[in-house]
Amino acid sequence: MTLVIVLKRIGMAFVTVCLATVMTFILLRLTPGNAIDGWARDYATQFGITLEEAYRRIAAMINYNPNEPLHEQFIRYISGLLQGNLGVSMVYQQITVNSIIANAMPWTIFVATISLLISFVIGMLLGVRMAWKRNSILEPSVSLFTVITSAIPDFIFAILLLVVFAYGLDWFPVNGAYDPFVTPGFNIDFIVSVLYYAAMPILTFVITNIGGWALMMKGNAVSILGEDYIIAAKARGISDSVIMNRYVMKNAMLPMITMLAVTFGGMLGGATLIENIFQYPGIGYFLGEATRTRDYTVMQGIMLFLSVTMIVANLIADLVYSKLDPRIKVEG
Amino acid sequence: MNENNIIEIRDLSIEFKLRSGTIRAVDHVSLDIPKGKVTALVGESGSGKSTLASAILNIVSAPGTIKNGSIFLNGEDILRYNANRLRHYRWSDVSMVFQAAQNALNPVMRIGEQMIETVLAHKKMGKPEIIEKASQLLDYVRLEPGRVLKAYPHELSGGMKQRVMIAFSLLLDPQLVILDEPTTALDVITQDYIFDILLKVHKEMNITMLLLSHDISVVARVADRIGVMYAGKIVELGETFEMFENAKHPYTAGLIQAAPSILDDVSENKSIKGSSPNLLNLPTGCAFHPRCEFSTDLCKLEQPRAISVGKDRLAACHLNEKGEMLA
Amino acid sequence: MRGMIDFFRIICHNKRSFIGLIILVIFILMATVGPFVFKLNMTVDYNNRYLTPSFEHWLGTDFAGRDTFIQLVHGSKEVLLVGLLAAFFTLFVGALLGTISGLVGGRLDAGIMLITNLFLTIPSFPILIIMAAIFSIRDPISFALVLSAWSWPGLTRAVRSQIISLKERDFIVICKVMGMSKPHIIFKELMPSITSFLSISFIMTMRGAITGSVGIMMLGLAPYSPTNWGQMLNLAISQTGGIFNPLGFIYLFSPILCLALFQLGSIFFANGIDEALNPRLRG
Repeated sequence: MTLVIVLKRIGMAFVTVCLATVMTFILLRLTPGNAIDGWARDYATQFGITLEEAYRRIAAMINYNPNEPLHEQFIRYISGLLQGNLGVSMVYQQITVNSIIANAMPWTIFVATISLLISFVIGMLLGVRMAWKRNSILEPSVSLFTVITSAIPDFIFAILLLVVFAYGLDWFPVNGAYDPFVTPGFNIDFIVSVLYYAAMPILTFVITNIGGWALMMKGNAVSILGEDYIIAAKARGISDSVIMNRYVMKNAMLPMITMLAVTFGGMLGGATLIENIFQYPGIGYFLGEATRTRDYTVMQGIMLFLSVTMIVANLIADLVYSKLDPRIKVEG
Repeated sequence: MNENNIIEIRDLSIEFKLRSGTIRAVDHVSLDIPKGKVTALVGESGSGKSTLASAILNIVSAPGTIKNGSIFLNGEDILRYNANRLRHYRWSDVSMVFQAAQNALNPVMRIGEQMIETVLAHKKMGKPEIIEKASQLLDYVRLEPGRVLKAYPHELSGGMKQRVMIAFSLLLDPQLVILDEPTTALDVITQDYIFDILLKVHKEMNITMLLLSHDISVVARVADRIGVMYAGKIVELGETFEMFENAKHPYTAGLIQAAPSILDDVSENKSIKGSSPNLLNLPTGCAFHPRCEFSTDLCKLEQPRAISVGKDRLAACHLNEKGEMLA
Repeated sequence: MRGMIDFFRIICHNKRSFIGLIILVIFILMATVGPFVFKLNMTVDYNNRYLTPSFEHWLGTDFAGRDTFIQLVHGSKEVLLVGLLAAFFTLFVGALLGTISGLVGGRLDAGIMLITNLFLTIPSFPILIIMAAIFSIRDPISFALVLSAWSWPGLTRAVRSQIISLKERDFIVICKVMGMSKPHIIFKELMPSITSFLSISFIMTMRGAITGSVGIMMLGLAPYSPTNWGQMLNLAISQTGGIFNPLGFIYLFSPILCLALFQLGSIFFANGIDEALNPRLRG
């Protein structure tokens, strides 16, 4: 029963990955022809080869030759992907897209995960307390905070933080992922430096996400508090703190787990602007660079990678949710 | 305080502040719950019996508040307990099987975990001992302990959940178990089954019970004493047998007549005419007078007081004051 | 007509939605009447760079001596036009596909939902900027098309579920039994029931499109209008060093403030519509 469902979900995810692949292929086909024509002409004169030979070599580098028939283009593209080869950057022809992603992705994942965890946990706690003590000052203040933070887009927050804390007060660095004078590796200096440089991007995400989590959690918690099993637990002499943590928290939190994946995806997307503002060398920064320089292979590779990441994140959230919530198993 | 009583409720009033006005769900009620007996409270929904029962555990839910009165346990007023004392009192002295027992369990915890959690909230005890005690009780209510302890609430049927709740209520050997409509939402056969178990629990374990129901015929099978509630007041109180023989309040008489019985001819059953009172706008005088066939001008003007109408019997009806007896 | 009066009565009755309405009206006036009142002059005047606010220049001047306030007014026209068009395109596609999917059901529904879900699992902002890079954006219409290309799926899904739940409601079933024609049921019975939802979606989509457009412009990917707030932000950051130059702060912060105020107005107003048109929340 459950195994069938898991396999079904994985199958669906696989289909989506395939469709996403086709989509990025179409994306590359939309590349203005002259981008590659120009490159081929430069290449031919630079190495003293024929234009045809230049096209062939470029095709080998980026898995794409606009002069071939469509189905051959597609086969070339897919076979390149199956070998795990996303080609080289069209702007920096020595650098592979794989290496750009491999270097940039950890930073983005790091910032997104930490921000997600911090905002989720704080939002949870705020939401439950708002529901628990209805008439405290907490509720209006969190609501106001949420209205303000949802009115201001996250990249605007990034600019404000940059102006105030980095340029104005000089508390935080204005660009980079770590101090260039620290040796990267597993040492305290490096870790501290990484956290220090990531602080502002993380703060941006946390501020813009807390309110949403808190309100969602409050909504869930209020309806849970009206459930019979809360009164029943009180009657059994279970203490308030246990009721809040083990009853209200857990029941209200479970439906939000699938939202985690959606938000994570949103953060990966939103990272483009925020990483560009903080000049933080994550995937979004390179995507921004690639679009500015019209580096189509990098755009395509990052796009495909982001899509697959998101599909996998959704799949994991789905599976984890059905594992955690005992009520789901029967319904499937 | 009478030694034979576990709980003595004195002059208890509970109000609900709603936007459209204040409802007095329980109106100056006094009631004793004698040791070793099954006391029943009968009344339509909205008569205040559930609210009264939740007050015994001091879990009246918002917007309800206890306005005045006392609830004595061994001479101490539980309404004046501090938070910690109250938490310890709940379930270890008085436990409850809820009306919506289907939803009284945390859906994301296994039954066993919830039982362990409940015991540990009251005393230090090893987990194996708790499991053993819980298994005995589950076995007692004719459930398979091995399976049920590991189950989540949604994996059990309604009747099974009800029996789990009965076992649950006995977990800390309470002095009193409150049963709030323990068989509503169950089919007739399961209802009988549950009552068999409850009678067994009462007889073999000598557990005092307070049974709440809207159906006087169901209650008659198990209760030693019955209190009839109407519009937040106890209108009649007495031994089950005597009450059925000779009801001292027209409402009680009506309930008995309306109740289906295998002895009676169905065609003779007649329900009480009129509808349950609007608590926001109660009639003057006796709250029952608009539905009462014996009502007089006095009934419209003056609220009847509860007076003794025999050994351990009380009734609040002007007819009794005049010495008239009901048929 | 009575309906409209009622509608505005409810909007004005609710403090939040009233504030939202006022904010939106101010912005609409700014975008429609504003450009005729304040004439834009984009010639560079280095003698008057970074002027502080005065009677002549209400918000001072920018890095090239041009009036900040007038740029802001002309920018509002650009921003609102793009947002309006994008919301219109999104609503059209989303409502159409959602209604078809919900009404027809079966294979067509499954197909539409598969594509919708695919679009939903692909992160929207990255694809937006890639599309902005591929189709070079030169005018508001192409910009709006790019912005709406990835915003319809969420709406499609929401409209579909609304339609499906409505289909089962009694009054629709009764209409069917009474033998009313399909177009009648769709346009006279179903559509009015989801107007409140659609109008809220319209405002919220517009809000999202404006955020997206400003973001894309900030990255310099749609450089067709120098007065668009996003382009002003881009210039404030890239050209003038507005971030570290306190003299450029007004030029940097004025589009930010306008953007935030507009968003706030939309949120408040959408809440108001929800209450005005949604019978469940009224009373």
